[in-house]
Amino acid sequence: MAQDSVDLSCDYQFWMQKLSVWDQASTLETQQDTCVHLARFQEFLRKMYEALKEMDSNTIFERFPTIDQLLAKACWNPFILAYDESQKILIWCLCCLINKEPQNSRQSKLNSWVQGVLSHILSALRFDKEVALFTQGLGYAPIDYYPSLLKNMVLSLASELRENHLNGFNTQRRMTPERLASLSRVCVPLITLPDVDPLVEALLVCHGHEPQEILQPEFFEAVNEAVLLKKISLPMSAVVCLWLRHLPSLEKAMLHLFEKLISSERNCLRRIECFIKDSSLPQAACHPAIFRVVDEMFRCALLETDGAPEIIATIQVFTQCFVEALEKENKQLRFALKTYFPYTSPSLAMVLLQDPQDVPRGRWLQTLKHISELLREAVEDQTHGSRGGPLESWFLFIHFGGWAEMVAEQLLRSAAEPPAALLWLLAFYYSPRDGRQQRAQTMVQVKAVLGHLLAMSRSSSLSARDLQTAAGQGTETDPRAPAQQLIRHLLLNFMLWAPGCHTIARDVITLMAHTAEITHEIIGFLDQTLYRWDRLGIESPRSGKLARELLKELRTQV
Amino acid sequence: MESLLQHLDRFSELLAVSRTAHVRTWDPVTVRRALQWARYLRHIHRRFGRHGPIRTALERRLHNQWRQEGGFGRGPVPGLANFQALGHCDVLLSLRLLENQALGDAARHHLVQQLFPGPGVPDADEETLQESLARLARCGSAVHMLRFNGYRKNLNLQEDSLMKTQAELLLERLQEVGKAEAEGPARFLSSLWERLPQNNFLKVIAVALLQPPLSPRPQEESEPSIHKTPGEGSQALVHWLLGNSEVFAAFCRALPAGLLTLVTSRHPALSPVYLGLLTDWGQRLHYDLQKGIWVGTESQDVPWEELHNRFQSLCQAPPPLKDKVLTALETCKAQDGDFEVPGLSIWTDLLLALRSGAFRKRQVLGLSPGLSSV
Repeated sequence: MAQDSVDLSCDYQFWMQKLSVWDQASTLETQQDTCVHLARFQEFLRKMYEALKEMDSNTIFERFPTIDQLLAKACWNPFILAYDESQKILIWCLCCLINKEPQNSRQSKLNSWVQGVLSHILSALRFDKEVALFTQGLGYAPIDYYPSLLKNMVLSLASELRENHLNGFNTQRRMTPERLASLSRVCVPLITLPDVDPLVEALLVCHGHEPQEILQPEFFEAVNEAVLLKKISLPMSAVVCLWLRHLPSLEKAMLHLFEKLISSERNCLRRIECFIKDSSLPQAACHPAIFRVVDEMFRCALLETDGAPEIIATIQVFTQCFVEALEKENKQLRFALKTYFPYTSPSLAMVLLQDPQDVPRGRWLQTLKHISELLREAVEDQTHGSRGGPLESWFLFIHFGGWAEMVAEQLLRSAAEPPAALLWLLAFYYSPRDGRQQRAQTMVQVKAVLGHLLAMSRSSSLSARDLQTAAGQGTETDPRAPAQQLIRHLLLNFMLWAPGCHTIARDVITLMAHTAEITHEIIGFLDQTLYRWDRLGIESPRSGKLARELLKELRTQV
Repeated sequence: MESLLQHLDRFSELLAVSRTAHVRTWDPVTVRRALQWARYLRHIHRRFGRHGPIRTALERRLHNQWRQEGGFGRGPVPGLANFQALGHCDVLLSLRLLENQALGDAARHHLVQQLFPGPGVPDADEETLQESLARLARCGSAVHMLRFNGYRKNLNLQEDSLMKTQAELLLERLQEVGKAEAEGPARFLSSLWERLPQNNFLKVIAVALLQPPLSPRPQEESEPSIHKTPGEGSQALVHWLLGNSEVFAAFCRALPAGLLTLVTSRHPALSPVYLGLLTDWGQRLHYDLQKGIWVGTESQDVPWEELHNRFQSLCQAPPPLKDKVLTALETCKAQDGDFEVPGLSIWTDLLLALRSGAFRKRQVLGLSPGLSSV
């Protein structure tokens, strides 16, 4: 408590000084400085109120002799009054100064003074004597017409901005850069006032004709903050303009999404999908410049976490939402694929962007083979200074979970000889960094496992141990090695699908999951599989039921 | 119903008193009761705002009150401006009391407590009085900041936001007054003419006459009934202007040519009177042989340039008006003797100037062949 009160005194001095410098915020510098400090000042006011409400008027003045000056100065600054709830908290603070039972004339005068200041705050700052006289003459009070006056001013400014945007050549009617900058500053405290939305939208969408950015960065930051916290509702076009014009805002929006994803329940793709759709980033990403930035941030996240499966899953969900948004876009200008994926051959991009739902089931195998060929070509092509090499191709491939997660299933479902192309694709998906030798070895290993599993799928009674042996597990190799992960997933896949395995499923998992990390991995796998099955509508009722039950049980274990 | 109307009466009295020194006698109980009444009426407005009979009854009562206060010839109404105002009558009352320094200490303290109870559970249904007041403060700051940092006076007055707002208010008021009393608008306008700064008033009238007619739509609670039917209000204005020649003369003198042309195009009833005025002004000028120009005899006579300006503007108006103007000019010219030579009849000279101006304009725009220099 004592520390709090010392802090408050320090803050008090700081803000007193600031307010004196700001005065009525009529210059560029004072306006900018006020804008930057608005949120912090409001916090200070809240703290002051908490302190003041516990004291009576006399005590307040003993503790803060200049409190009346501080509050009065704040009231004279229209930016402060316009911001969020500052005007309310100021009023509460002022109310604390009133003496319940004034003992002398000085205290009475103070009460009068407080009443006067309160009235001033609410008197809707008079201007334009003529207007005031006119409205009074008609019998109206400000409360009767201020909302519609504000509306008219906002609409008029918005249409001026639009005209400025369209009339490039008519220099007489141009809005000067100073006026534009001034307008954007003035909007900073008003962002969350719904009446001002048309003006904010116009400022974002109409960018005039200067080569460099005129609007104040504080404006963009304030709008972005309000958009992320859902305190303002702007049309998508305005949000896209915001993110195109002010890169830090886009980055902040991505970080905001990441934070939400991290702090939410692990391994729940449905929730991830909700968050992603909610963020409006997929729609915005229809604009290639935004897509590139978003993709880059995903790439960084992937590198930093060394290919964490959660990030991969997020990228897949994002891409799926993005593709859906792209379909819905009714724009006349459709951007070429190359602008989204500049380092990829157009044919590969086009194949990958196909939704498996749109391809007849019978052709899935064919499509996967084609993808494999194109990817292999890209990966093994070391010439022409291809960017990034195998990792780049892998990064591209993992975007498209619809196909990537399908490879194992396709391999397991067919009784015929597993196609080399699919084996290669599977090995590549799980370990992109492998050299040719290593990959060939993995392919051989997978082929062997597939053979064993196929044989076992025909027998009616199986034990968990049988399966484990067939998969070549239980050896001393590092359980986290990519090939091990691959085999684990093959096994799980098989287990969900093969009829004889449903009874031994739990045993298999118990044997498999000797660490918490692997349990999480299995949960992730089950969640992802169910999510994908739901989307494509390919699950068999028994498999689905089993998967759901297993998922539920495992979730309670961790 | 009767008790509701009595409530309204008493509240209007209260509202009127709240501005006077009489509040010195108020104690906390009075303050509380006053606010309760306001809250009750506001609630009534919300619930029955769309309810025909109740709304009509309340409106009629308000109109009665105004009539009793001396109708519209006197001054602004001290109580509620219209039915819409009931929607925020608690704010109105609160503001008046807060502005009134005659309030005693106990009453003041109680008032402030009632208005600003502090952070609490927000009411899900209605906005609390505290919220309304905070929003008013915020709105006021917004207007202030936009006014001084973004607003620039629009040279087309009818598009200027301050002008538009005043015009909308005038039209709304006229409509309200018209409902209360048939002769209301005319008397009301005359009283405004006496009391208000005349220059601004004339501009507002012009802008009001140019407001677009709006399609009827269901009345919204949140907005004031400003956009209802500007038609009625405009008609009242035209009627009044035509009935007050002194005002109309000032109207035509003070306002810019372009604006008057727009107004006259929109309201054809005004064009004969406008043309008549212009004709009168023209006839007061005589030709000064030495200087070679048309001049007036007295200082307040309209000079040639202005006259020419106005006619030029009228000739750029769309057909019915333009033709009327040209016909009028031709008629005047004929009456004067139908001269073709300049310097004898101002109407000849005007027509010559207008035609050559038009010719010059066509040249500049590249519409007719000819000498490039004029």
